[in-house]
Parts: sequence; structure tokens; C-alpha cells
Amino acid sequence: MGERAYQVTITDTGEVYRCPETVSVLKAMAQLGRKGIPSGCHGGGCGVCKVQVLSGEVVTETMSRSHVTEEEEREGFALACRCYPGSDITLKVVGKMQKAVTRRYGFV
Amino acid sequence: MGVMRIGHINIRVLDMDAARHHYENVLGLMPTDEDDAGNLYLKGWDEWDKYSVMLTPADRAGMNHIAYKVENDVDLDSLGKRIRDYGIDVEEVGAGELPYCGRSIRFWLPSGHLMYLYAEKAFVGKAVGTENPEPWPDGLKGAGVHWLDHALLMCELDPDKGINKVAEVTKFMEEVLGFKLTEQVMVGPDHSIQAATWLARTSTPHDIAFVGGAVMGLHHCAFFLDEWSDVLKAADVLAKNKVKIDVTPQRHGITRGTTSYFFDPSGNRNETFAGLGYLAQPDMPVITWTEENLGSGIFYHTGELNEAFTTVYTEGA
Repeated sequence: MGERAYQVTITDTGEVYRCPETVSVLKAMAQLGRKGIPSGCHGGGCGVCKVQVLSGEVVTETMSRSHVTEEEEREGFALACRCYPGSDITLKVVGKMQKAVTRRYGFV
Repeated sequence: MGVMRIGHINIRVLDMDAARHHYENVLGLMPTDEDDAGNLYLKGWDEWDKYSVMLTPADRAGMNHIAYKVENDVDLDSLGKRIRDYGIDVEEVGAGELPYCGRSIRFWLPSGHLMYLYAEKAFVGKAVGTENPEPWPDGLKGAGVHWLDHALLMCELDPDKGINKVAEVTKFMEEVLGFKLTEQVMVGPDHSIQAATWLARTSTPHDIAFVGGAVMGLHHCAFFLDEWSDVLKAADVLAKNKVKIDVTPQRHGITRGTTSYFFDPSGNRNETFAGLGYLAQPDMPVITWTEENLGSGIFYHTGELNEAFTTVYTEGA
């Protein structure tokens, strides 16, 4: 209550939702049952929720360097599970989960 | 003789304070030491060696190595020779280089994961001691897990390119390290592709498991609880602590274990696993799950795989 919240726009799907400044961009999306950004470990380790912030400010927490290099971070790439909005933001989805429709042999 | 059990897992974490809270207060492991490099060592209350989890601060999540304890020091020589004879390089590691352990040997599994074998580790003792012990100690935190039970390692599987590291590492574990194959998943035409395996040295359904994926990695490490009600309570502890739960309490068809999956604050997957499953005696016939029943094998209640479960994981090296 009384907590600041900002608008997140996912350009790929056109989804728009409110994200409190203390909740990660990924978690706020998942809590609303939305699906635009792939949802994985929520700990900055698996990389499936990688996004590029196209406009607006975000505060980020530690992310696995396997998935976001320092150079990429400077260019606005981030893991949505480690991103907190500091203004209204727009982002595009970069990460992906291997889709079940492409699987041919059980797990792969 | 030979490999006794899983000894420890060395996991990389991105934020040590968050990791410490998770492993100590949520899982309920007990810290036993920290070193100058910032590594944190923990054990379950029911374990007697100094640590079963070694957390290492890093800028990448995942696993550095996994270690198994052998029964006698001479096993390191005999197993080292068997591994070399199989065509895999073995490095002799001096006492203390693997922290608080005697001499060890290390080698890369055919799946690309680093494994250590050691015979001695510093002794701490169970939290309840050995003389007229109570069944459980007071003051347990969080889920109060007993011990590190097993790990599941992801292995590269691409049948179209003839790559099957699951089958390669399974063959190695059986033929060289003397593990028993308890269960397997067979997929593809004629069910001819071994896509996942569960292997044991103890009499539990598995001490290690391998599953095929696009790239190798660490799928999860699992911690033992007595029973189903403990898994349910552990899930409450997870929710209270805002831990990202991957799979709410379920039963596995494979191993019959009752389970819940979740992620540590760096995205490494953990499991709370309860129940014996069954007694995996050396002459027990191998259990096979076919591709059509894969969902029930992994998640018995829903009978469906979830997309994240087999595609989201951290690095294995």
C-alpha cells in the first residue's frame, strides 16, 4: 500500500501491467498469470527471462555472468527476475525456453 | 568397498548473504565453517562429516564439482586405475586440497561434470550425538533437512547428431564406479534411446541421476526428509520465505519419492525428497519408463511434464 508502482510494457506481446518498485518485473508478471517473459528460476541463474530494456529506468540485482555480460548490461540487457522498475519501462524479450513443441525425444 | 555415498556438492552462488539465509534458515542446514576464500560449509543435522554442501561465491550460478565418499583409502587407488584404464584422465589431489578431506582423486565424467572421490573428511558428528540419542534435535530451522540425498545432472542429448551423454555417463558409472542402474527412461523409435537414468550405490533408489537436455548442467541437489508431511511443511516454509517454488509437493513415479522442487536465491534448483521409495538391492531388476509414460514417471499425480522443469537449470561446470 502506498508503494510506488510503474507500468511495464512487453513489446513482443503488447502486454501491459503494473509492477511495484519492490517486486521484480518477472514476479509481477507471473503473479498476474501473464506469460510474455519466460519464467524460470527467479534467481538470476538460468537466464530464460533475459530481456532488453528499451526505455525507462531499472534497478538490477546480481545476475549470472553466463547470461548477461558486463557489456550487455550496459546496453540494457538484464534478467527480468533481477529487475525492479524505477520508472515506466518498455522491454523486449530476448531469452527463451526450449519449447515443448520442438521436442522429439522425451526431454529434448 | 568402493564408492559409499554422495559426499558433498560444491555450488556457486551469486549472493552469499541470500544463500546463507536460504541454506541455513529455509533448508535448515547447519553451518560448520567458513574459509578465507568466502566458501561456506554446511551439513544436515543427521550427517556426521563436516559438510555436505560447500557454497562458493561467484558471478555465475551452477555446480563446481560433486564428490562421493569411498569406503577405504585404497579404493582411491583401485578406482583411479579403473578410471584410467577406461580412458579417462585422473588427477591425484593432495590431502586438504579438497577442503577438510584427505587425499582425493578427480576426473571429468563423460558428461562433462567434475567428480571427486575421497575416503576421509573431518568428523563433526550428528546433532543428536551417538549415545542414547534423541530422535531429532531441538532448535532445527526451516525444513530441518536430514542430509544431502542425491543430485541430478543434466547431460547433452541430441540423438539426431548421435550425441547421448546420458548413456555414456551411465555406462561409466555402472562399469567403472560400480553403481547399480535402478530406473531408466527410454525414448525414440523402438524405445532405443536412454534419455534418463537413476543409479545407486546405497540401497536407496538413487544416489545420482542423469537426464538428457540441450546442454549439460546442474538440474538439482536433493535433501532428505522423513515423510510426506515433512515435504508439505517444507513447502509452507518455502512460501513463508518467498522462495520460488518450481513444483509443489508431488509424487514421483520414478523412485516413488515424495518431492517438492524450488530454487535457491541464485537459481540453483533444490529438492526436498522424502521416503525410502524402495529397497534397491543389487539383484533388483531395472525399472524402465517408456516415452509415452514419461509424464507419470516424473510427476505421478499430474502425469504431465512442465516446460520449465526440464529446460531451466544452472551450469554444470
